[in-house]
Amino acid sequence: MQDESTVVYALGTREGFDSPVAASLTPICPALSFIGDNYTVSGRHLVSIRKVAEKAKQSKIRLLIAAYTSPGLPEDHARSLSERRAQDVRQQLIEMGVDAGSIHTLGLGNDFSPSGPSSDVVVIYQASPSTISPVSDSNSSN
Amino acid sequence: MIPRLSLLIITLLITATCSSSAFTGIGNKRKAAQSHSTNSGPLPSLRVGLFTGSSGSSAQKGIIDELDRSRSFVVIPPGVESDPTKHSFELTGDSVGGRVTSRLKDGAGKVLFERSYAAPGIDENIQALSDDLTYAITGKPGLATSRIAFVSNKTGVKQVYLCNAEGTNIQQVTRHPHGAVSPSLSPDASLLAFTSYRSGFPEVTLMDLGGGMERVVTDTPGANFGASIAPDGRHLALVMSFLGNPEIFVTDLATNSAGCLTESIGVPCSPSWSPTSTRLIFSSDEGNGQQLYVADFGSEKSPGGLQRFNVGYQFATDPMWSPDGTQVAFTARSRGSWIVAIKGYPSGRTRVIQRAAKHPSFSPNGRYLIYVQNGDLYRHDLVTDSRRLLISEFGEVSEPRWMN
Repeated sequence: MQDESTVVYALGTREGFDSPVAASLTPICPALSFIGDNYTVSGRHLVSIRKVAEKAKQSKIRLLIAAYTSPGLPEDHARSLSERRAQDVRQQLIEMGVDAGSIHTLGLGNDFSPSGPSSDVVVIYQASPSTISPVSDSNSSN
Repeated sequence: MIPRLSLLIITLLITATCSSSAFTGIGNKRKAAQSHSTNSGPLPSLRVGLFTGSSGSSAQKGIIDELDRSRSFVVIPPGVESDPTKHSFELTGDSVGGRVTSRLKDGAGKVLFERSYAAPGIDENIQALSDDLTYAITGKPGLATSRIAFVSNKTGVKQVYLCNAEGTNIQQVTRHPHGAVSPSLSPDASLLAFTSYRSGFPEVTLMDLGGGMERVVTDTPGANFGASIAPDGRHLALVMSFLGNPEIFVTDLATNSAGCLTESIGVPCSPSWSPTSTRLIFSSDEGNGQQLYVADFGSEKSPGGLQRFNVGYQFATDPMWSPDGTQVAFTARSRGSWIVAIKGYPSGRTRVIQRAAKHPSFSPNGRYLIYVQNGDLYRHDLVTDSRRLLISEFGEVSEPRWMN
């Protein structure tokens, strides 16, 4: 039997998801900062992710996880690294009970820069704009 | 941990949309031979004789300039006294209205070829003739008609551009509202693959450079980037993540099916083909830093082979095989800075080509390496170990790829 921790969830359809590149989306929580080549979610991130998971389960909202890297990295590596970071955050949300089909990822590397002091971040957006208030957690931002 | 090879065959979500681009083309050039080397020996001498016709003198001057730039010959221009018995080759021809017809003879007077070139412009005809001469005499592809693809943010949005081997004749190829990145040219420069953000999400797109038509190849959920067109023109390697992690896939462009080549726990990226289209080299982090790996593809003798290619650095990426398959160029991190280096394949010394630079790409004849430094594009001569600035003050240039 396969260890539950090794199960990786495939992405569902992209239909119905807006991209922060093409649309004005608001982050649902403070950006999750990463350092260097790291792509693993830390305990510090989990506080924010848990709050997002609770909100997603209650409101049945869909989430778009967009990840970025700092400028200067080799471009293809930056895209893969950012996608890997987004996938790790998605995995945590799924393991907290959020429906896998309601979460999409977007690794942008440094092709686009998020607003804010750091570009080495993962930003969780609601998939399309709504009036749901964002969660707050000062521990997870830069 | 070495990633395992899996052969998951899937059918891609092929959208196969076609749209017309404003770009009109470079056109179909002949596929160059695969056997090249950077070894330098005595250069063959080529005497350029009389070019008759109304545009003969322009053609004659143009071909002399082009052959000089190729650094593949000792060019003996008309009027220069020389011993005919010591000429390796002699070129004559005629030109009317920009069309060029030319004859190449060897030292014994035997006609090696006689060809006509009827493209609309005399410059195109001269470049095609120069590359034909280079190939006929040296067995290596010429660079006059070769193209370099690169990305620039000159307009404020990253777009793909093409230029020639001298870094001139720059043409903007993509005009997508949210940009286009990660370009790769087919060996004959007839096709360009790139990642478009036209919808806000990444899509790998193929553009026919002859007509400007675009076709979306993969529009799968998640990542779609790092496209690399195989020398056989039929396969496309790329990174996709719709299965849950970024993985290297190979797409058969004829059947629109794809196979997953890796089962990675890390960050696979930058696949690049061997000259024979039977192997892929790529970069991945499998718990021991970003390293280079080689995977066999399409070989029944050694299916599933996947080997680490140790280049001696903790972080290595952007690998690219030389046209003769004997070397691999790559970007590495050394003492906190990026370097461009090459290493013999399957074994050999590692040679640092340039510090504070990244994203190397070989020229089709293997003599030059291009790379980016501080947003500028450089061409490094691997024979003389000298370099030349090709493009500067053109926004921030990144991801250069010479057709290969």
